[in-house]
Amino acid sequence: MNVFSKLIYDIGRLWGKYWLSYLNGVKNTLILAVVATVIGVVIGLVCGILNTIPCAKKDPLPKRIVLKVVRFIVRAYVEIFRGTPMVLQAVFIYYGLPYFTNNALRFDSVWAAAILVVSVNTGAYMAESVRGGIISIDPGQTEGAMAIGMNHFQTMVNVILPQAFRNIIPQIGNNFIINIKDTSVMFIISFTEFFAFHQYITGVNNLYFPSAAIEMVGYLTMTLIASFLLRRVEKWMDGSDNYELVSEDQLVMAAGTYSHPDRGTPFDERSREYDKDRQDARWAQARNESTRGDR
Amino acid sequence: MDEVILEIRHLSKSFGTHEVLRDIDFTVSKGDVTAIIGASGSGKSTLLRCVNLLETPTSGEILFHGKDVTGRGVNAPEYRSHVGMVFQSFNLFNNMSVLENCIVGQVKVLKKGKDEAKENALRFLQYVGMAPYINAKPRQLSGGQKQRVAIARALAMGPEVLLFDEPTSALDPEMVGEVLNVMQQLAGEGMTMLVVTHEMAFARDVSNHVVYMNQGVICEQGSPVEVLENPRKQETKDFLSRFRNN
Repeated sequence: MNVFSKLIYDIGRLWGKYWLSYLNGVKNTLILAVVATVIGVVIGLVCGILNTIPCAKKDPLPKRIVLKVVRFIVRAYVEIFRGTPMVLQAVFIYYGLPYFTNNALRFDSVWAAAILVVSVNTGAYMAESVRGGIISIDPGQTEGAMAIGMNHFQTMVNVILPQAFRNIIPQIGNNFIINIKDTSVMFIISFTEFFAFHQYITGVNNLYFPSAAIEMVGYLTMTLIASFLLRRVEKWMDGSDNYELVSEDQLVMAAGTYSHPDRGTPFDERSREYDKDRQDARWAQARNESTRGDR
Repeated sequence: MDEVILEIRHLSKSFGTHEVLRDIDFTVSKGDVTAIIGASGSGKSTLLRCVNLLETPTSGEILFHGKDVTGRGVNAPEYRSHVGMVFQSFNLFNNMSVLENCIVGQVKVLKKGKDEAKENALRFLQYVGMAPYINAKPRQLSGGQKQRVAIARALAMGPEVLLFDEPTSALDPEMVGEVLNVMQQLAGEGMTMLVVTHEMAFARDVSNHVVYMNQGVICEQGSPVEVLENPRKQETKDFLSRFRNN
């Protein structure tokens, strides 16, 4: 038997015996990655808002001091959690807390500990992404919101963050995919995700490589589906390129109906309607030619 | 004399050591249409942004109904909700439809009900001729349409003064008319307006007060006839003749 057919045979054997364990691992990995990414994004958004509160010289001193302190805390949080390995953070939180507090503080659930560590980590990365997203929004948007009397919080929630959020979805996707893979380090606190089951299963037999192959395919499948879904979310958030007119516009002049070629009206060269029309025309032409040929 | 709404007193503004505005003094009464004209870099836009507190004046006072709004402890967002502003670059909220753009301020800032806000927004969108486009996103509109929506958004807040910061400068020439028409109509209905503009015809025909600015100071102000037809100062004459030659 050559190597590959043996490998496939072993994979089949492993899967037949342990498929429930593998799927259980996939389930745990996905739950942890999804929950931690969502919480992490929320942490990132909060940090982003805190980091961009405007601070003018004429503001009262207490407000300025509070802002300085808040910014320092956010900065320290980002630097510490971005700058240390997640494995060690898990060890410090799960084993370190009871150790240093004489068992007064400890996590009874390994789930809670794992979610905390991964979300706090994601939050640290997202804080910077959110800051970048907020900076990338045209200052005119803020001015427009301020000009109708919105305060900083209202401006952020209603105008800036929805737009910044759209811009950082690729980053969120990045973090989500990284989380799917990197949650594997949670085995250190005996969290049983996908990779942990691999270790258990190979512990009782020596089919190490076939199991690793199953893991590879499993992780790749998860991340591919994740990327696909994230693309769909982006499309959905961008909304339709078309809109319906409600009735007649009296004031508009000929120029008022102008639309940029990229914006997708039925008349522009890149719209589906236009392509379809041209396609139809070409087919009609082709049909004519073929019938002429028959004659 | 009508009720005084805005009084600018000895207003100055510096960016670092560069003094952009120096000792600006003028008054806006109810129903006034004040045109601020002048060359690029003369401080017109900065003055308007100071009036809306988007820039913090270095010194001087801005009295809104007799109350200074430049001091500490003034609720700037509250003040701004009484003073509408229309920008050169429109600044419509890109994440909202035309209708939502005109509703959001009423609901979040003025705490109006959704239905009332919608009805109000529709009325002003109708007024500027953009009612058919309520479902469109700003990116799908032309410049002139965006600016008319921006005007409707400002009007929906029920402002006492409307500030226009070169509202037609970013528009293609053929779209300037539709925006100026709306502004002229507003002026005719007694809206108090403060307009930074390069449209001399608009300043002459629509405004009742013209302020000519030169290098950060008010060089000359008065009625359109006084300033535009019979300017007293040489700078004003030079500026206007440069305009006619173009």
